Amino acid sequence: MRKRLLTGIIMVISLFTFGFFQSHVFASTQHVYDYANLLTSTEVKQLENLAAELGAERETDFIILTTDNTDGKDVVQYMEDFYDDMAPGYDKPHGNTAILTVDMEHRDVYLAGFYKAKEYLDDSRLESIREKITPDLTEGNYYDAFASFMELSHDYMGYPPGVNPNNIFFQWWFQIGVSLIIAAGVVGMMLYNSGGKVTVNERTYLNSKASKINQQRDQYIRKTVTKHKRPSSNNGGGGGVTGGGHSHSGSRGSF
Amino acid sequence: MVIHYKCPNCGDDMVFDSESGMLSCHSCGRKDNIENFSEEYITTAFSDGEAKEYQCENCGAVLITDADTTATTCSFCGAGVVLADRLSGTLAPTKVIPFSISKEEAIQAFHAWCKKGLLTPKGFMSADRIKSITGMYVPFWFYDLNSDIKVQAVGTKVRHYSRGEYDYTETLYFEVFRDITLDYVKVPVDASEKMHDELMDRLEPYHYDQLKDFKTPYLAGYIAEKYNYDANELLPRAKAKVADYIESFIQSTMAGYTGVNYRKKEISTEKTQSFYVLLPVWMVSYDYQKAEHIFAMNGQTGKVVGKPPISAGKVAAWFGGIAGTSFIALKLIQFLLGGGIW
Repeated sequence: MRKRLLTGIIMVISLFTFGFFQSHVFASTQHVYDYANLLTSTEVKQLENLAAELGAERETDFIILTTDNTDGKDVVQYMEDFYDDMAPGYDKPHGNTAILTVDMEHRDVYLAGFYKAKEYLDDSRLESIREKITPDLTEGNYYDAFASFMELSHDYMGYPPGVNPNNIFFQWWFQIGVSLIIAAGVVGMMLYNSGGKVTVNERTYLNSKASKINQQRDQYIRKTVTKHKRPSSNNGGGGGVTGGGHSHSGSRGSF
Repeated sequence: MVIHYKCPNCGDDMVFDSESGMLSCHSCGRKDNIENFSEEYITTAFSDGEAKEYQCENCGAVLITDADTTATTCSFCGAGVVLADRLSGTLAPTKVIPFSISKEEAIQAFHAWCKKGLLTPKGFMSADRIKSITGMYVPFWFYDLNSDIKVQAVGTKVRHYSRGEYDYTETLYFEVFRDITLDYVKVPVDASEKMHDELMDRLEPYHYDQLKDFKTPYLAGYIAEKYNYDANELLPRAKAKVADYIESFIQSTMAGYTGVNYRKKEISTEKTQSFYVLLPVWMVSYDYQKAEHIFAMNGQTGKVVGKPPISAGKVAAWFGGIAGTSFIALKLIQFLLGGGIW
């Protein structure tokens, strides 16, 4: 019995290490380019591990790029040049990549997705991720912001393109809440009706021959119209094409 | 049975004048044709030796039955001691719906009902502890009500559309007026103090095609309770009963509007007629875990009402089952919408 347990544990461990090992082989080695020195070396190591693990599942390189000197370039341009020069990608050089760029000089943040990540992380999904991590960036919790960038990107890529991952239907708390409300309603109704249902309605005692509408008037008086500007889906942010001809999705903001 | 014809003019008793073939009033001289005489002014009373009255010493219930039936136990509390008294001059019912379900059928129907209980404990569902089952006529007042309704309101119709970069909300305002007459017939209200109003309301509906003129022999073998409230005392309850119906009728006439804001609502409900009716009810007393549960069954349709014991385990099981199923269904929707499973 004990022996069998031991072999089981060893098998599980070896499976894990094998899977881990495999993901390292296919993914490019470096994911964190912390030129602005926002992270400690332990944090870098932890993010590298996270990127390797999550990236393997989505076949995408999750890259963190920080800088405090863009040589006068805009954050988008800086990121595009980085992509052209470093040629990251999970499947091939210049392949599936999601990049979070933090420009400390201008306090700009830019999220971009290439190839598979461009398809799965479109402008609106990137914008949603950016909105979620911006508070952490503002407060200087860089490690938390970077880790949640990877986790959120990983989560969102689990939904097919075109689906809103923030749809309330997909939230656990919503699903559990609705289930409980339905159950409470149905059981409550059963309890209420356990002593006999009310089976008369407003027509039971109505003498329809002697009941009628004697007079009715519906007179139009006035009309009001209010208008609201539709919140534009994405202005300015958006994606683009790098100098090397790689098109990407994107969302930018400041923090 | 003694029938009194009350003069619509002065309230004195009218007598049949054989010479003219009309009902005539001695006090004011009014004459009425007996065929067209409004039922409202006719009262019937039990004559001597026709009916008996019992009073329960334990709970105070007053029961009446025909002269040949003997009540030995009280239908309400089961106490054995009842006092008999001759009854005469007491107001007799105008109409009655006779029992169409026999005692055996009532027991069977009760068994069937217990088995259907989804939330009742297992021991209760076998329904093998019926302590007593009594057929009794419960006193009701039937009201014919006429409502005159005038409603003024502002109705709105809302439309949404978008043009260019803007979303528009267009609201049209209408001045709405409705003048409605609603006529309700034979709205039943139980006149018994002992019976729970809510319980009796749930026994409805009774089918009125079997409504018969009351005759004492209908009481044979059954007990009838004497009414505790007269027609005027219960009129507010009858009005309250139709008030909800009126409200939903008003709403149904304004269905085309998105929103309705009432400015003025005048509802006046008048009684056109009321009469005293006996309706058949089987009272079932049931022992479960040392507690007595009382159920009432519509003696015409077999519908059962009453508070059955509730099994906490079954409630929990249903709750869990429904919550779990709904959750799986929601997950399925998520999957179909392309949101994956987790």
